[in-house]
Amino acid sequence: MMLPRFAYKKAKDIPAAIALYEDAGGGARYLAGGTDLVPLLKLRLNTPSVLIDIKGIPEMMKISTQGGHLCIGANVTLFDLKRHPMVKDTFGALRESLEATSCETLQMRGTIGGNLLQNTRCLFYNQSLNWRTARGFCAKMGGETCNVVPKAAACFSNYCSDNASSLLSLAAQVKLAGPGGERTLPLGEIYSGDGRTPFTLSPGEILTEILLPLETSPGAYEKLRVRNAVDYPLLGVAVTIEGNMARVCVGGIGAAPRVLVQKDFEEGLVKETAREAGREVRPVANATLSPAYRKRMVPVLTERAIKRALKEKRR
Amino acid sequence: MEEGLNIVGRRVVRSDTLAKVTGKAKYAGDLKLPNMLVAKVLRSPLPHARILGIDLGGALKVPGVKAAISGFDTSGVKWGVFRYTQDHPMLPTDKVRYIGEDVAAVAAVDEETAMEALSRIRVDYEPLPAVFDPEEAMKEGAPLLHEGYRNNINVHVHIDVGEVDKAMTEAYLVREDTFRAAGEAYAMMEPYAVVASYVNGFLDLWVPNAGPHVRAKALSNLLRMPLHKVRVRHINSGGAFGGRSEVSPGDLVTSLLTIKAGRPVKLSLTREENATCTRQIHDIVATVKTGMAKDGTILAKDYRVVYDGGAYSSTGPIAASIPFYVYEECYRFPHVRYDGFRVYTNKGIRGMYGCHGRAFLAGNEAQMDLMAKELGLDPVEIRLKNGLTAGEVTATRSTISSCGLAETIHEASAATDFKAVWGKPGKGRGIGMGCVAIMCGFPMGFRSGSSCTVKMNDDGQATLLTGLVDNGQGNESMVIQVASEVLGIPMEDITLVNADTQVTNLDPGAYSQAAAFVGANAVRIACENIRKRIVALAARKLGIEEADIALRDRMACSRTTPEKKMPISWVVREAFFRGEPIEGTGSFFPKIDFEREWISRPWGQMAGTFSFGTSVAEVRIDEETGKITVPRFTAAHDCGRAINPMAVEGQMEGSIQQAGMATLMEGNLWDRGFLLNPDLLEYKVPLACDMPEMETIIVASMDPEGPFGAKEGGLTVRMNAYSAIACAVANATGDLFSELPLTPDKVLDLLERNKGAKK
Repeated sequence: MMLPRFAYKKAKDIPAAIALYEDAGGGARYLAGGTDLVPLLKLRLNTPSVLIDIKGIPEMMKISTQGGHLCIGANVTLFDLKRHPMVKDTFGALRESLEATSCETLQMRGTIGGNLLQNTRCLFYNQSLNWRTARGFCAKMGGETCNVVPKAAACFSNYCSDNASSLLSLAAQVKLAGPGGERTLPLGEIYSGDGRTPFTLSPGEILTEILLPLETSPGAYEKLRVRNAVDYPLLGVAVTIEGNMARVCVGGIGAAPRVLVQKDFEEGLVKETAREAGREVRPVANATLSPAYRKRMVPVLTERAIKRALKEKRR
Repeated sequence: MEEGLNIVGRRVVRSDTLAKVTGKAKYAGDLKLPNMLVAKVLRSPLPHARILGIDLGGALKVPGVKAAISGFDTSGVKWGVFRYTQDHPMLPTDKVRYIGEDVAAVAAVDEETAMEALSRIRVDYEPLPAVFDPEEAMKEGAPLLHEGYRNNINVHVHIDVGEVDKAMTEAYLVREDTFRAAGEAYAMMEPYAVVASYVNGFLDLWVPNAGPHVRAKALSNLLRMPLHKVRVRHINSGGAFGGRSEVSPGDLVTSLLTIKAGRPVKLSLTREENATCTRQIHDIVATVKTGMAKDGTILAKDYRVVYDGGAYSSTGPIAASIPFYVYEECYRFPHVRYDGFRVYTNKGIRGMYGCHGRAFLAGNEAQMDLMAKELGLDPVEIRLKNGLTAGEVTATRSTISSCGLAETIHEASAATDFKAVWGKPGKGRGIGMGCVAIMCGFPMGFRSGSSCTVKMNDDGQATLLTGLVDNGQGNESMVIQVASEVLGIPMEDITLVNADTQVTNLDPGAYSQAAAFVGANAVRIACENIRKRIVALAARKLGIEEADIALRDRMACSRTTPEKKMPISWVVREAFFRGEPIEGTGSFFPKIDFEREWISRPWGQMAGTFSFGTSVAEVRIDEETGKITVPRFTAAHDCGRAINPMAVEGQMEGSIQQAGMATLMEGNLWDRGFLLNPDLLEYKVPLACDMPEMETIIVASMDPEGPFGAKEGGLTVRMNAYSAIACAVANATGDLFSELPLTPDKVLDLLERNKGAKK
């Protein structure tokens, strides 16, 4: 499939990238690893006039420790991050979610920032322009209603970042830089909850860094998928246990991951926590396995993830 | 080397391997001809609609557009494999019948221009009610796709042998079950591409195909051109699996465009188009009723199978029959009735598939295991009891010449300790066995045979000419190996010119499992014919008896006094001196009953021989998630004789993936007429990490007629691997599957149903 036409610009640092964005006067997109964006371009789901390549920006490629945080540059590839000693030893859920992301070839291309800002997915959305034109545009494409749930004026597309779930369970923060300046906010705040426009980032904002509290955090990530590689999650559950606190994050269903925090978590609460995790989850028939099954798997995978996290904690 | 063979039976590197692994092999998509244009096709956005008008004017006004066509530019001839199934206009003028159907096309200087031109074509449609489910389509009052096909029944294959109803009443045990399976995608590595060039009234095509001669014939009919003016040329093929047997709409489109534009044209389909607009595989609903005697003998089978045929006939009668035949060629059925209905629906066109019929075959096998268990028999005993043996005649009157079925059952059982594991599988575990037989060729009239021409060149090297085609399975290397054996020269001394209709002779093609048994046999005979001349001349020159001559290592030498020898090249040069160059032909025509017809006369000898195979799968089921894993898969295949065991094993392993592991995940997903997974992300082809540990066992039954005893290399696994998985699941759960693929949600339903039943 052919790419649409666009202008290509390469930014040498963050201010330059933002300046290029402002010059473009709308219609620009940032390009990092491209593993999410390029397929969207080919399907004509995104037709930017300018692509601003930010993947060569040196400051976004570093991993460092600062002020009690592990600071991960947004352009660090999933593969490099996976192999970082600190990630391997300290952040159990993240280690596992990185390993579970697609396949190593794509992990070497895809970046952690891009992985977090990937668009939401739906069997009825990630299709060619011909397919979608024949079917009629859905709410996410500017149409009036959803093509999966008839008459619903909402979007039920799924946010499929494996690593968002684990980072949320680790209470990650993100740094954003944009035309309006810099800000740092909890990762959970970048999600709008609306599948049509899943992120709260302002136009031109770049996710530059991810901050993780430097604490040994036993955890685990469980992923529901049909094949053992490449596939996006049909459901992903990350669990991190720090002291008496358990953070459970359910992703892969709906436009934003859901976080459940259990402040006084103890081993006797495993089943109850697992049930609680599945309570608010509302999958629809927009992925390759049935919604009823995906919902049913939330407590199953949550229980498994908690048990493995506890095991790691005891070690 | 056994029986004094030099190279046949040896694990040799295939002649095509180096070019393919280094990326140097050329496929249709790689070809660049001078002044070549790019084609793009406008496709139907509607599942069923009347075409009121097509206006190409806007497209022709776009600078850079050199031709635009629609159905009104065709001869009006329709395609169908049989005279009575010609229903497919390829570019329709009356109505469209599926989303993605070819409606119009353009050829332009580049892809962008072609896309722009497509957007300027105006088509007026009048939408019609559509039908997507074959059982709905068969009901009175359903929308009709074609005139003259009542209840949308495209083909009804009716076979009735013996007295089924009477036998059922006499049976000790009778069971009836219904099994469903989603249609699959071929998912060839190479998306479809065609290059066509029209010069001086001659049309040349480079297109992946499974039979150049049948492709050229179909195109000459569709274009109303003399056959000799349509030349299908050799090109590498990135996979076929049955999906490239027939002429495709893209062939006609590209031909019409090049004729109109007067310049070469290339059409390359996208991955989505490859899935939706070439061919797909039938969804199937199979009802299987079996009557068994108390000792486990199958007395009667009664079948009703509905095939979702999509919009057109394609291989209709063959597709609606094959699953039945590969089963009746394996087991003894004294009484059998088969009703196969291929039904039109407003979905994409469907063709034959190497793994065709999984609902039917896996259903039969799994049901047999449960019935056997009820009678106190295990899967090995029930298969040995009912399996055919050499010399027997099938229900529809094919004689089995060579048969290694029992041996494949024994070998696969021994390798897996089958009986012990089956008797006590352990919680969430199971082991299962699937058997099948495959016809090596089937009746195709005068196209059922193959002819080869071979000539010796003055450097002692040989050139082979054969119509045989290679879709990636290694047919080309196979015939080079056969020729190398007969002529006593190494494989690298043999040049193959094949699958080019202007140069090569008729061959049945690579879709009826006939390449080894028929195609390679013709090569063997041609080479033996010229071998006689080489030997005669060498014997005279060396002054020894002809019977004493052996050809090996490029030499003709005496078997008894090895110092008496001369290079084969000298013999060849001597022949040139005498004005009698060494060249010859060889033909092989299988013993088939040519009165046999798929609908009107479904009996008689189906093929020259049959291959047999047994697969054994071991499964583990996660009882909380329903996810099945397959730690080990064992396949035993009676291929007659493996000409290249490494190639046969490769075919068997590929089959374990494409039929075995695929049965856990592969299936087309539909939203009415829309294919939801026309890509390789959501259509789940098993990945390397999903594959089990594999053991492949080659059984050599030494077919009396096959080339060096060979039959076909690996297709049985393609049609029994899913049965092994289904039977293993039945062993683990005590219950039958109701639908394939066995994705975790369906497995969980099966486990629940089972729990409910036990309470």
